[in-house]
Amino acid sequence: MNNKEKHESGLLHVTGKAVYIDDMPELPGLLHGFVFTSSVASGRIFSFNIEKAKAVPGIEAILCYRDIPGENQMGPVIHDEPALAEETLECIGQAIFLIAATSENTGREALRLIEIEIEESPAILTIDDAISARNLLQPPRKIECGSVEKGLAEAENYLEGKFETGAQEHWYLETQVAMAIPGEGQEMKVFASTQHPSETQALVAEVLDIPKNQVEVEIRRMGGAFGGKETQANHVSVWAALLANATGKPVKLRLSRDEDQIMTGKRHPFLINYKVAFTGKGKIAALDVELNANAGYATDLSMAILERAMFHATNAYYIPNVRIVGKAWKTNQMSNTAFRGFGGPQGIAAIENIIDRISRKLGKDPAEIRYLNFFGMKERNITPYQQKVKNNRLHVLWEKLIHSSNYSERRKSINVFNAENEFLKRGLALSPVQFGISFTTSFLNQAGALVNIYKDGSVLVNHGGTEMGQGLHTKIRQIAALELGISIDQVKVTATNTSKVPNTSATAASSGSDLNGMAVKDAISKLKKRIGESIAKILSEKYGYSCNSEKLIFKNNFIWDQPFKERKISFNDAVLQAYFNQESLSATGFYKTPNIHFDKVKGIGHPFHYYAFGMAVSEVELDVLTGHHRILRTDILHDAGNSINEALDIGQIEGGFIQGVGWVTSEECKWDSKGNLLNHSPDTYKIPGINDIPEIFNVELLKGYPNPNTIRQSKAVGEPPFMLALSVWLAIKDAVSAVGDHKIEPDLNIPATHEKILMASEKIKQEIQQL
Amino acid sequence: MEESQSYIEFILDGNVCRLDFHAEGVSPTTTLLKYLRSLPNHKGAKEGCAEGDCGACTVVLAELSQGGNLQYKAVNSCLIFLPVVHGKQIITIENLEKDGRLHPIQLAYYDHHASQCGYCTPGFIMTTFPLYKSAIKLDDEKIRHELAGNLCRCTGYKPIIDATKSTCSNPTKDHFSEEEGSIKKLLNEIKNNSKGIYISGNGQVYYSPKSLADVLKYRAENSDTLIISGATDIALQVTKKHEKLAHILDLSQISELKSFQKKQNEISIGSGLPLSEIKDLVKEEFPVLAEMLHWFGSTQIRNLATLGGNIVSASPIGDSLPVLMAYKAQIVLQSVDGERIVPVENFISGYRKTVLAENEIVTRIIIPKTGEGIIVRFYKNSKRNDLDISSVSAAFRVKLNQNKIVDIAIYYGGMAATPVKAIKTEASLFNNEWNKKTVEEAILILSEEFKPISDARAEAAGRRIMAGNLLLKFWFDTTKNHHR
Repeated sequence: MNNKEKHESGLLHVTGKAVYIDDMPELPGLLHGFVFTSSVASGRIFSFNIEKAKAVPGIEAILCYRDIPGENQMGPVIHDEPALAEETLECIGQAIFLIAATSENTGREALRLIEIEIEESPAILTIDDAISARNLLQPPRKIECGSVEKGLAEAENYLEGKFETGAQEHWYLETQVAMAIPGEGQEMKVFASTQHPSETQALVAEVLDIPKNQVEVEIRRMGGAFGGKETQANHVSVWAALLANATGKPVKLRLSRDEDQIMTGKRHPFLINYKVAFTGKGKIAALDVELNANAGYATDLSMAILERAMFHATNAYYIPNVRIVGKAWKTNQMSNTAFRGFGGPQGIAAIENIIDRISRKLGKDPAEIRYLNFFGMKERNITPYQQKVKNNRLHVLWEKLIHSSNYSERRKSINVFNAENEFLKRGLALSPVQFGISFTTSFLNQAGALVNIYKDGSVLVNHGGTEMGQGLHTKIRQIAALELGISIDQVKVTATNTSKVPNTSATAASSGSDLNGMAVKDAISKLKKRIGESIAKILSEKYGYSCNSEKLIFKNNFIWDQPFKERKISFNDAVLQAYFNQESLSATGFYKTPNIHFDKVKGIGHPFHYYAFGMAVSEVELDVLTGHHRILRTDILHDAGNSINEALDIGQIEGGFIQGVGWVTSEECKWDSKGNLLNHSPDTYKIPGINDIPEIFNVELLKGYPNPNTIRQSKAVGEPPFMLALSVWLAIKDAVSAVGDHKIEPDLNIPATHEKILMASEKIKQEIQQL
Repeated sequence: MEESQSYIEFILDGNVCRLDFHAEGVSPTTTLLKYLRSLPNHKGAKEGCAEGDCGACTVVLAELSQGGNLQYKAVNSCLIFLPVVHGKQIITIENLEKDGRLHPIQLAYYDHHASQCGYCTPGFIMTTFPLYKSAIKLDDEKIRHELAGNLCRCTGYKPIIDATKSTCSNPTKDHFSEEEGSIKKLLNEIKNNSKGIYISGNGQVYYSPKSLADVLKYRAENSDTLIISGATDIALQVTKKHEKLAHILDLSQISELKSFQKKQNEISIGSGLPLSEIKDLVKEEFPVLAEMLHWFGSTQIRNLATLGGNIVSASPIGDSLPVLMAYKAQIVLQSVDGERIVPVENFISGYRKTVLAENEIVTRIIIPKTGEGIIVRFYKNSKRNDLDISSVSAAFRVKLNQNKIVDIAIYYGGMAATPVKAIKTEASLFNNEWNKKTVEEAILILSEEFKPISDARAEAAGRRIMAGNLLLKFWFDTTKNHHR
């Protein structure tokens, strides 16, 4: 085995044989589910008529909220999200009716024939609207340390401002899909493309009013998820199960791309207000920042996302006096939801933009200002929420990256280039990420596993984590093989299934390998103990000594007593012996992250098991006349601890970074005045394409810095690299700033689309003329 | 219909398959993707967007070229109505593996960790397949260009580029090379035995004739037909709007419409010639047309879409019209009564409207060679460079006499309900010096000349600035002094 082990489904991917839910053989009588949704952002249902739709041949059921046997709810945390709207409509795309049809055409025809009268009311669409209407979702949250008032009052230098970040659509290639199959009695089996099978199971049970033990949820693999299937995959499962229950037939429900983009939530747009005090050298003395999130119409995970944004609003920097206020606003948009980074990107964008402004104001290189403000190794190392930053990798990353990216020389040549070119401008920026690892809702940090060893020595691993492409099952397979000392081919990881491992947490918060890897290790250590005891007996008898089972080593497909090389037995023989010895070869494992807690009221605690660090330097070239940019080069150095699989980790870094590039550049969601999403398909919603990646793209892992107290001393890597894309946004801002010789602060938010870049450049041109 | 058949024949999994629409009750506007996914062993092609913007449904069509060779073309199977595959070989991801041995492309993708969630992977591999078979030299830029019609949300593309480069730089003979002879023979047999395809039933009529004469005759007798060729635009009415198209006249089998002629003073492009083929043919004499086509859609779209289709759709944001206008192209319209020629500028009569009569079709586009000293340029301003519809596009033509403007033509897309000529702006430049000052003055006039809209792609204010800046960019590109 090497640490560049291939993706466990790689061969199935390249042959087209990997089975996604829509590829599964269709059972006889399978029906297709469709959802009739609200066309208004706010209103009341006056009356409706579904008779014409019902009369279409091939329509087997049309359901409204009254047809739900159990609770009409699919809100994951707070129950404020009806499965089907009752009277009140709170957003465009909200589900009202469900249709089960024998074919797509009949289902679509029935959708057109449903008649509904709606009384429309004024909608709250933006954060500004919600602030005016005082439409807070929950009371504001606060994290505070030192004295912000004092810090701001005594400011040597002071800045204040407003900053916005936009929504982002997940754009997983596989749209939301589920297939529900009724079994005998009350049983319901759901194949769901979900990151959170246990929650899908719970919600299906609740709407059907049956115990959870009647519902089995299974997912082999998703075609991408990125947080978009953490809670909002529950919806299609709930709907499919309701239709399957009503018709007694299997029902598949797959959203079309447009439906998916209109009906599901996005990354939360943020509006950020800030005041900052800093010294003449650029050290931040005080920061007062207010983070306003557009939650959409329901709570979903908004409060946890807001919280994570608050935790990351100081990113990698020590600030003695801080006040971070977080407000989630209820609006008549789809309920915004988890998306890689989970609020972290918005919080980090806020502070990185502030540092960028400070540097411009002081006329200093922002990379230097960043270094100056990094958390210290021995002092200046307490976060505003009072967690001590240990094993700080910021300085080593900065020094290595500044050197390997040739930062200083490139800065000089960029200045020359910009002086020589009127219509082309280049920009350069370094940005760090310090991402807290753990669910901030502390009890979620638990995982379970079930490991079976069969008589032929083959091993079957089940765990609570789900595979969405990130390679979790590959890492788990490696962990199991390493722990058992056997070849990876001997280990199979199965589909995630709620009847094998119960009560799991979502595969989210980058924690998939950390939590489930540990749970698998726990199960395996139990099995090793049992097998070891059997083998110790055998070795003791065979070689006439007292073999200590705890000293047995599992390695290279053998189990052996370390000091005596010949005293060994092959793993497969050992398994069989243990079986004859009447040992159980099946074990569950469990893990909970130790010592994490957070007091939401006081804003104090130790919410993170550790921090993952990374850093990037990006250079862009801007065509000032079109607003187009090219990423000329990006260098990334990322800390994944002792990487379990370098190829997968690099894949996460590159992929996460490019997804972040989309968020900060071309991915723009716009709504009309009625609340209709304008960019609901890929012809107007542009995720990065193959030509949008850096022309030179150097990605490396920080070597030689193992992480204490994690599975094989590794670090989580799913989300942190996303935020490194801020280096691209900052480089664009630097290039726009060059239009005005860095004398004027560019008016640029996220995303910096070609149009926004153009407008910011034009504004600077006009301001220069007025100077 | 006399002399027609209600079935199609194509090669799938190495065998000739016959699909009779009447007998099997299949709608002719069923897409190739839907059809393949209805089969038990062809689930590799995925629906990611149903509009040709993601490439997850990519398959390869092999067809006989006019010279009798097999041409492999990557296409979006979500945009293809089944009758279009008549006489072609369909190659899917499932066909690459042979006797348990992976195709070299598959191995390369596996070895380079080029899949994460795997949903886009079959599409990428199928787009790579024609590159592998073409044996053209590939650098990173070419690979990126060819694969720009496939989206991946997981990998960040780097391992995909690496895999493609490694496998295509050293292609070996694969089982397709061995089977080429027999496939050609089968395709020839299908071709020689086929008649026009006519399918009628369930409220739909679909006619795919074999000759231009049949097209014109049918057009004369049926004024309500929706004409398709590549169908990359019309297909969305089925895949996205879920409409039932009542009456379709499919020109994709008409070889007369795929002509290309070079004459001394002009070229003539058949309206049904796919854009991917035009690009190489016009590269030398009409480089700006070739450049526009370079950025048009994607490999898969260009393999299907035709110049005739792009013109007749009369889109306010279609990229070909401003360029053809700048080149003073002429559109040849034909009916049973004969031919007439209309300058492209007069062809568009309103928002998505043309002067095409009910009995006519567009057969050719004539582009006269540009005279001495004439400079033509095209610029596209869009959110993403690849596979994106312009926010604003512009085509310019200028002729200078000692830096005095003696001819100027300015056309914009995205500034009005149709592609438009900036007549007032042109007037302000005409007979003036070609310098920054006159251009900046012209931009002030331009900013008043049109009232663009705000939509999903850009705001009105942004569009005005884009339009002006593109004129400035044109001026800048035509001057040698690139420094301050």
